[in-house]
Amino acid sequence: MHASLFITCYNDTLFPETGRAVVSLLERLGVELNFHPQQTCCGQMHANTGFRTEAYSQAKRLVRLFSDSENVVIPSSSCVAMMRDQYPGLFEELGSEPLRRDFAALLPRIYELSEFLVDKLGVDDVGAYFPHRVTYHASCHGLRGLHLGERPLRLLTKVRGLDFAPLSNIDRCCGFGGTFSVKNAEVSSAMLSVKLQDVLATKAEYCTALDNSCLMHLGGAMHRQYAGMKTIHMAQILASTESTPMESFQ
Amino acid sequence: MSHSVEHPILDPTLAPPFPKAALTVLRDPQLRKNVAHAIDVIQTKRGKLVAEKRDWQELRSTAAAIRTHVLENLGAYLEQFEERCTAAGGHVHWASDAAEARQIILDILRKENASEVIKIKTMTSAEIQLNPFLQASGVGVFETDLAEIILQLGNEEPSHIVVPALHINRSQVREIFAKSMGRPELSDDPQALTEAARIYLRRKFLDIPAAISGANYLVAETGGVVIVESEGNGRMCLTLPKTLITLAGIEKVVPQFEDLEVMLQVLARSATGERMNPYTSLWSGVTPDDGPQKFHVVLLDNGRSSILGKPRERQTLRCIRCAACINACPVYRQTGGHAYGSVYPGPIGAILTPQLMQMRHAQSLPYASSLCGACYEVCPVKINIPEILIDLRAQVIDQQRQDIGRFFDPLYLGLRIADFLFSRASLFHAAQRLGRIGAGLFTHKDGWIHSLPSVGGKWTQTRDLRGFPNQTFREWWQNRPTQSSTQIAKEPK
Amino acid sequence: MTTTQGSRAQVLDRIRSATASVAADAANLHELHAAIPRGYIRKGELSASAKIALLIERLREYDADVIECRVDELPATVSAMLSASGRHTFAAPSGLPAAWMPSGFEWKIDGGLTHEQIEVLDGVVTGASCAVADSGTIVLHHTPSEGRRVLTLLPDWHLCILHDYEVVETLPEYFARVQHPPALVTWISGPSATADIEMTRIKGVHGPRHLNVIVVHH
Repeated sequence: MHASLFITCYNDTLFPETGRAVVSLLERLGVELNFHPQQTCCGQMHANTGFRTEAYSQAKRLVRLFSDSENVVIPSSSCVAMMRDQYPGLFEELGSEPLRRDFAALLPRIYELSEFLVDKLGVDDVGAYFPHRVTYHASCHGLRGLHLGERPLRLLTKVRGLDFAPLSNIDRCCGFGGTFSVKNAEVSSAMLSVKLQDVLATKAEYCTALDNSCLMHLGGAMHRQYAGMKTIHMAQILASTESTPMESFQ
Repeated sequence: MSHSVEHPILDPTLAPPFPKAALTVLRDPQLRKNVAHAIDVIQTKRGKLVAEKRDWQELRSTAAAIRTHVLENLGAYLEQFEERCTAAGGHVHWASDAAEARQIILDILRKENASEVIKIKTMTSAEIQLNPFLQASGVGVFETDLAEIILQLGNEEPSHIVVPALHINRSQVREIFAKSMGRPELSDDPQALTEAARIYLRRKFLDIPAAISGANYLVAETGGVVIVESEGNGRMCLTLPKTLITLAGIEKVVPQFEDLEVMLQVLARSATGERMNPYTSLWSGVTPDDGPQKFHVVLLDNGRSSILGKPRERQTLRCIRCAACINACPVYRQTGGHAYGSVYPGPIGAILTPQLMQMRHAQSLPYASSLCGACYEVCPVKINIPEILIDLRAQVIDQQRQDIGRFFDPLYLGLRIADFLFSRASLFHAAQRLGRIGAGLFTHKDGWIHSLPSVGGKWTQTRDLRGFPNQTFREWWQNRPTQSSTQIAKEPK
Repeated sequence: MTTTQGSRAQVLDRIRSATASVAADAANLHELHAAIPRGYIRKGELSASAKIALLIERLREYDADVIECRVDELPATVSAMLSASGRHTFAAPSGLPAAWMPSGFEWKIDGGLTHEQIEVLDGVVTGASCAVADSGTIVLHHTPSEGRRVLTLLPDWHLCILHDYEVVETLPEYFARVQHPPALVTWISGPSATADIEMTRIKGVHGPRHLNVIVVHH
């Protein structure tokens, strides 16, 4: 099984440990991973702020780069949602016929991490060990955009040693919303405040999710408020084993 | 309702931008509590009923299909409605914009010598700012919905399209009624307050000879008009007076009487979390000896036809004003309705208001969303609100590209620079390195950034930001020893 | 003075050009409408007795007073309900069956009663066209036995006499029964209510605060 990793611009820059964990996890599961160093960004930030032509130029670049990939794995559900929800419209409106065809051919081979594990590799027990109390935050793009459904929890609850604490109001947005977090910073913070109440009430040591964007927002507030909880991308939990614990990727 | 807060402005041409308007509300714990409580009640009821309705998704699909079909053939259906309504004894008027609609209504009232009018709640009349116009023209206007009375007597503005006074709690209502109805002894028990409203309105229903309503649906096949309500004031207004004027947006049409079997099922569950609301009324034109003998329908465009012409945005007009999107919205939950600066708040307001204004106003509204998609999930006619929000953002940006002033907005400048940097990996990599150095200046000993300038400061107002790691993923990958799966990826912090 | 004819043409023109690429010909419109997929439940599955039981359950959820009786027991049942109400003067639609107007009460038969005359009455007795069990909805078409709309609006107490064969389970079944759409319909699902004050449901704002139903078994 071959796969190309699309690390995403923000994971690359701010959360490389998530990328290292993905590599360790997938290689452990027998996947031959490659990484195109030409990759940059999927264009979501631009598309969602209204910079459509700019978003398209990034989309075009991405499709060209990955058109030969057997599978593309992405540890970020919002980026995958961008490709499924918005790329079709962008290519339809701004793209050429050959590009549209390339994109249409590529799309079924694009996977969010939990989709790749459960659907493509057919596993939910990845052999992980993570002896901590953990709660799971369902990011909106994963929940409603990708309909990830049970996949994340199937993976998480098979992790040995993990004490799972369910989150109340799990379908309520954390308030990140991309540039919303700064364009409407106060409302974003109000939503964060409400979300944090539910997260902290789980008394978990870690809040995990499939998107570092939400986790950056939640974790940033936790750190500011000395809340005594940390955030961690699920890839890092799934990559943890007795011999390669979480610290190996930090 | 906070006395220290200035009167909310629900005129999109005058209202402050959403982030500014929201600030006022975020500081009002009573209002936030009132809103959250109201939302939770409706959401719980709705959730229960939707869960029990095995064919809920099929109903949504058909409701969306009926509304799409109508919009695509709106001209034909409106003409059919006009023909049938007229044949049944009604008069149909067409208003191009708000001013024309107001004038048509005033002219009818003057012709009928009506110096007072009772009203059933209609957001469309708030959209065209009808009440102040009529009052300035010497017509006494009496709202009859409990929520609308509260707002009218309290000089308040609606903050929701189904439960417009949800931001006002019982003691605030008591204050308003005690003062304006001259009932200082009134308690704050909702039962007592409701009884006070009943008494206050009874004579008005019996004495005032003209009424104004909106319409939930216009039935093209029969020329019928449908009003969906809970309190009975609707029935009073459309049965007792001599003259009835119905103001309806052109998009309110459904093709056939039978289509109501779908629309009524989805509306009640979505709007109030009931299987069916207490009273739904349908009347066609004029019925001899039963109800108003003078009946007028004013069909309102006011920007709707421009939305109709946009294939991707046309779905905005499917809206049946149920407010399910508003109730599901996590942004609305924190800000309430006034922050949106429009009679239409929440997700539907964020897409409808700027479009009705042909994108000349309310440009902050498409950004008043985290794009979580909860609205789309609950919309009974499947309006893809997030998709439209993103489209409208693109329209706003395209407008602002022409404006040099906006060009230098730090966020927009940053995004344009980012686009350039993303165009080539070497540029991106260089930017990552520069970013790491720059961020390092703000990073504290604990490895975190606590304060940033400019746009970044909006983040660090309430959140820390972890410092840039000293190696990006791509740098790690490039420097990786052999691709062995037993290799442990141990890197120094 | 407004030139509404002028705006009519303008508005219709705008609509026509906005939908030019998607609008159907008049000939196809009906077909297109008929082709709309309807995968929702159109027919109920309950037995006749279960259906009635569901209707009664829903009506009682709204605090309506519901009694069942056989058709031969009807006059006595009506009499008993009216007595129990403590009320005396009742409005009757012009076509209300005589058997539904027991003696011992004052009946004002509607031959053009004024609003003021109706306003002082204690209650009203009517039939109905249909009832939908699933939502506890009574449907009035304002026929002579159901009365003008004002009759079931002003009095504070309403007794509705329903025949068991008038009951359907689902709303689509009601619509399926209607041959020609009536000019007037009132769907009543409980006494009036509001939740405008702190979402507390208060019954009885305007419209009858007391709804009573007799389900007649044939």
